Amino acid sequence: MLRAIVSKEIHDNLLNLRFSVGFVLCVVITVSCLMILTHDYSQELRDYNLRVLMQEEFLSKYAHTNRMGGMLDPQQPPEVFRPLIIGIPRDADLGSFDDNPLPAIFPPLDLLFVVTVIMSLLAILFSYDAVAGERESGTLKLMASNSLSRAKILLGKWLGGSVSLLIPFVFSILAGVLYIMLQPDIHWDSSSWAAFSLLVLASVLFISLFYLLGLLVSAWSRLATVSILSSIFLWVVLILVIPNLSPYLAAQLYRVPSVNKIERETHSITGIERDDLGRKLSGEVRKKFERQYGQVFNDYLALSKEELLRRAAADPEFKAMIDAYRAENRQAWDEANRVQREKAEKIYNELILRAQRQTTLAKRLSCLSPYADYVYVATDLSGTGLRSLDYFSRVSQEYYGALWPYLEKKSELARKKDPTFNENSFLDVSDRPRFQYIEEPLKDRISGGLLYWGVLLFFNVVLFAAAFVRFIKYDVR
Amino acid sequence: MFLNVMRKEILENLHSYKFAVITLLSVVLVFTSLFVMYRDYLLRLENYEILRPTSKQPVAIVQPAPLSIFVKGLDENMGRSYEVRFGGQIMVGSKQQSVNNLFRLFTTPDLLYVVKTVMALCSILFAFSTITGEKESGTIRLVLSNSLGRTILLVGKWVGGYLSLVLPFCLAVLLGTILVTLSPLVQMSSEDWLRLGLFMLAALFYLAIFFSLGVLVSSICHRSSTSLVICLFTWALLVFMIPNLGNILGRQFVNLPSVQQLEVTRNQIWIKQVFEMLNKLQIEKDSDEAQRNKGFQDLLSKINSENDKLISDYRGRFNNLVTATKNITRISPTASFTFLSTDLAGTGLLEERSLKQAVVQYKDLIWDKPVDSDGNISGDFPAFSYRRSSVSQVMSEGGLGNLAILLLFNILFFTIAYVSFLRYDVR
Repeated sequence: MLRAIVSKEIHDNLLNLRFSVGFVLCVVITVSCLMILTHDYSQELRDYNLRVLMQEEFLSKYAHTNRMGGMLDPQQPPEVFRPLIIGIPRDADLGSFDDNPLPAIFPPLDLLFVVTVIMSLLAILFSYDAVAGERESGTLKLMASNSLSRAKILLGKWLGGSVSLLIPFVFSILAGVLYIMLQPDIHWDSSSWAAFSLLVLASVLFISLFYLLGLLVSAWSRLATVSILSSIFLWVVLILVIPNLSPYLAAQLYRVPSVNKIERETHSITGIERDDLGRKLSGEVRKKFERQYGQVFNDYLALSKEELLRRAAADPEFKAMIDAYRAENRQAWDEANRVQREKAEKIYNELILRAQRQTTLAKRLSCLSPYADYVYVATDLSGTGLRSLDYFSRVSQEYYGALWPYLEKKSELARKKDPTFNENSFLDVSDRPRFQYIEEPLKDRISGGLLYWGVLLFFNVVLFAAAFVRFIKYDVR
Repeated sequence: MFLNVMRKEILENLHSYKFAVITLLSVVLVFTSLFVMYRDYLLRLENYEILRPTSKQPVAIVQPAPLSIFVKGLDENMGRSYEVRFGGQIMVGSKQQSVNNLFRLFTTPDLLYVVKTVMALCSILFAFSTITGEKESGTIRLVLSNSLGRTILLVGKWVGGYLSLVLPFCLAVLLGTILVTLSPLVQMSSEDWLRLGLFMLAALFYLAIFFSLGVLVSSICHRSSTSLVICLFTWALLVFMIPNLGNILGRQFVNLPSVQQLEVTRNQIWIKQVFEMLNKLQIEKDSDEAQRNKGFQDLLSKINSENDKLISDYRGRFNNLVTATKNITRISPTASFTFLSTDLAGTGLLEERSLKQAVVQYKDLIWDKPVDSDGNISGDFPAFSYRRSSVSQVMSEGGLGNLAILLLFNILFFTIAYVSFLRYDVR
């Protein structure tokens, strides 16, 4: 009997105008959107290759250790899922004079829009009259008068409705992915396909959730017109209001001190204050040497560079004093640097900690909306969300961790070969370790988003249970 | 008779469930949005006070626009500090929102967002059953069997329905605005009030478009359910799809390097110049102090002129991208409304372009000041002054065009709705 209800539901939906309109729109929007994004991805890939090449060429001519950091900034290639999901626009907030302001006016469109707006609206349009509509037309009464349990009716409606919804979605996404796969510069490995399958699964959960929401509201209403208005009201709150308000509410509930204020403070600590402390410690060293060596040390301070070199070559004790003084002086400045850096780090870390807490609070608040849960799951899976920003920053640090010892070793060798070599001299770094961006392992991306998977599942279960309870009590007359 | 039709429509709406739901939604959203954005404005104001430079600091910064409470647009971007460094390099300060990346994932819930998405949806929901609903209940046949012209009926229904939608919304905005502007920290000039008034006028035009669209679809369909499906998808298409896809589509027509590529180039310019100068000094070991200083000044000039070339080339291409995006997205009234609103509030692309031009001009004025041992330019600097574009400038540089597009959509949708209704089979 369940099968009969499911097939009736699918049959009814397929013959309905909303299915035809939804199907055409879904296919047209998804395919056109993915085609444009695929083209955009190719452009980004070319841009990335050019950046890498520019760095290579530049280093072959101008590499010197003094400004190596600026020459070796790790470059991130566009993510393989960029033709599907844009997530956080990469060129909008780089802290550059030329940051792209357009995404702040019109956020880019991607598969997330298709699922969260088009498919969820379609789900509500499919389910708003599932109970109330059948009551109005009198068919619910007839159904209930047979030996058919209400649980089966509801389950059949949910299954049938969800399957009908998935037809346009699966068709459009397959058409879109087929186009993507035809591009010569896009290659998905097994991990990408696994992530894609999970993405489809998360989308199914999300779409089903909105179908159940419509079903619940329908089982709560006597009239289909009331049901659709209430469903859309809830849709607006869940999709358009809660997620967008969450970061702003979190910023009010949990204040983070002014970033600019902290930056100025830490700049002063590691700049002017560091110099003051350095001078003080260095002065102490100087006094110590004055006490210890008396006139000899004063001679050292008064001599010109050439005289100093001559005397140091002739007098080994004098040279030993200079070496000792220079070493202690360097230690004094190192100490000033260390103390001030630690002070600045403490303040900066406090800022980061508070910022992380604010972000976590905003995420928790937004969790109330399935839209936000789905966005977190999808962007994490595709490597285009918040998690990927942290991941890139982590792998960049690791790269620098491997690069600096290499540069020190290379400079040391160059100094041995050429005594005039200094930090502004050209350094051949053609055999340096290259930055290779490897996407975060899939299991890490999944484990990071488990909470949001759980919330999506939980919403499905709760909404089905609530719809079931309401339907049991529903007056079908 | 017209007044009767209008009164009946208003009364019917006042007693309907949809009026209760939509009014509740719009009022709550307007108040929440204004409150949240007001608090956000105060945060930005606080930051501005911290960043205000002394005469010893070569920093350009603008105060947040009071109208950003209503239309935030690019105010967060524009409120950053621009510090001029040696060789005319411009260092940009951090945004307060940079501490929480979630801001980058979601949209700003300002009044512009409420109007262009939620209120547009409410508008369509109000209108989708204007004709079909009456047909289904059989009343339209009865009404038209009297000596009542279809024109009067349609106009009466339109005006009655539209007033029921916008009056609670306007009241909520008015109350919210009064509450917000009572704060001494929000100082609105008379021109700001004019801008706000124009924004509200544009919002009313915009909502009228979606209302007419609802009536149009309703006068084509014979069932409310069909009308609703078409209305909802048209709304999604006009509000989200065209403007947001147009943004990416524009990029396919303009050859614009990425910001990352630009940063790599910018970084390489000064490293290359410094490297070459140091090599030159190495060769000319015996040069005197004056020669060295001249060499250093030449280096700074080269860095400055190369950076200028880079900025001017990029800004030219970027302006082409903005033009392409504007032209593509204007198929949707949402895009025209967004451009008009953000420009009026002084937080749009037009203002962003002017501000960046002003920052570059300020840099040109001071970049060649002496450089201290830390590599910063030093001395007494003139204060950076910037005046946002006036209303007449905004209107002449695209504002009137956008307003005309909104008007055109209104006329177009209403005319089609009228023609369809004249031919509508009411049986």
